Amino acid sequence: MVIADEEQLVQSSRKGDLDAFNALVQAYQRQVYNLCLRMLGAAAAEDAAQEAFTTAYRRLDSFRGGNFRAWLLRIASNICCDELRRHRSRPTASLDAALEAGSPADVPSHQAGPEEETLRSELGQHLQQGLATLPAEQRLVIILRDIHGLSYEELTETLHCSLGTVKSRIARGRARMREYLMARRELLPRRFRHKE
Amino acid sequence: MLGVLGQFRHRRFRRDLSAYVDDMLSERARRRLEAHLDSCEACRQELAELRATVEALGSLPMAEAPRSFTLAAAPIAEARPRPAARRLEFGLRLATATAAFALTVVLIGDFAGLPGGGDEEEEWVRGELYSATQGTPPAPEAASAGTPEPYGVTEMPNISDVPDILEAPGISDVQREESAADETPAADQTAAPPEGTPIETPAAPLPGVTEPRGEEPTVGAVVSEEEPSEKATLEGAEVEEEVGAGAVGAEVEDEAEAGAVENQAVGEEDGGGLSREEVVRWLEIGLGAGVGVLVIVWALARFQRSMGNRP
Repeated sequence: MVIADEEQLVQSSRKGDLDAFNALVQAYQRQVYNLCLRMLGAAAAEDAAQEAFTTAYRRLDSFRGGNFRAWLLRIASNICCDELRRHRSRPTASLDAALEAGSPADVPSHQAGPEEETLRSELGQHLQQGLATLPAEQRLVIILRDIHGLSYEELTETLHCSLGTVKSRIARGRARMREYLMARRELLPRRFRHKE
Repeated sequence: MLGVLGQFRHRRFRRDLSAYVDDMLSERARRRLEAHLDSCEACRQELAELRATVEALGSLPMAEAPRSFTLAAAPIAEARPRPAARRLEFGLRLATATAAFALTVVLIGDFAGLPGGGDEEEEWVRGELYSATQGTPPAPEAASAGTPEPYGVTEMPNISDVPDILEAPGISDVQREESAADETPAADQTAAPPEGTPIETPAAPLPGVTEPRGEEPTVGAVVSEEEPSEKATLEGAEVEEEVGAGAVGAEVEDEAEAGAVENQAVGEEDGGGLSREEVVRWLEIGLGAGVGVLVIVWALARFQRSMGNRP
């Protein structure tokens, strides 16, 4: 997704126009927040998203043009990875709990019946728990590709790595997710079970 | 053998399944994989499971942002060094690195006994001093080095460094003087041409040659004092460029299977200032310690050699 006058807004933001930057924030805040939510869980996501936008404003002069969304998501990705690294060096219960409890409990449902909603919610929890077991770089690439729908080209920009590396990380991340889900297939919706 | 080959090919096809799901395989690779899928039930099963996984991930809804993240006011700029300060810092670091390198080269050269090292020149100077004070005709090479009298007079303070020679002059000293003069023609030649200015020219190389023991602790002290100040200027300077838009797993693409290794790789690369800052700091500590140890070893070796040379 690219907003219509994005380039103009970026130019104005670089000149210090806060309103222009806030227009960009509003366009991308949902994506940035959701990335942080899937990477860190609900408890830390809000702060991380806010930090991402604050950092982005400060770093506007380092944006060399191109895909603004990829650049913004890259900043958010770095902040998430920093947070995970800090968490590894000073473990606190909250982050793990938030991640492994299938944290995005606040994700609203689209219109669905109660039974479907229950199944969807269960699957969502398993997926979140599965994501939490992945190494950070695989989790990141799976979230960006399979949940946010970034193209491979955008991924190379966001992750700052080669196409081959992107493919390889996606393949390994998906393989792990598949194994995780298949090990719990009896708990999953029918489409996972009848493929045995 | 065929079984192993088949397993190898099977593993390769399995690896391609993910890219196949995204239609990211080349035409040739896609056709080969599809041919394999026709004959491999396990891969078909895995492909179906992989598709279900991707589909499930894609079905995860996007949450609404709990609040607006718009900025109420422009955030305070980070305290980044001004360009001039950064240039100055870069210059200082470059100068320090050059000095460390030069010092290392000099010390290694001294260990290896390359021409221009200290001992031979020291002996030569001792001979000069001896001949100047005793009035003995100097060796021909030494004579070309300059006028004896003013030389001796200007360098009188150095005599305190070599009292043993003055007390016990002997033939061996003269012999050493000759051999030293033969071995170090470069020192003679540099001293020889300006015969009209005999005082300053030969004196120039002397402080480093005749008073090494006096200088050694000083050099060590300079090095050890220099490192912390260098480190202090480094703190957080270069690293912060990467804080926001840094590389997420960019440089190291080892593609190791072990999760712990991958975690660490991401942790180290993901643009946080801390790890890179620490790496730079430890590199500098290592460099400083290495040069310091080298200087101490060099000083001890020099001391031992000079003790061994005493009559």
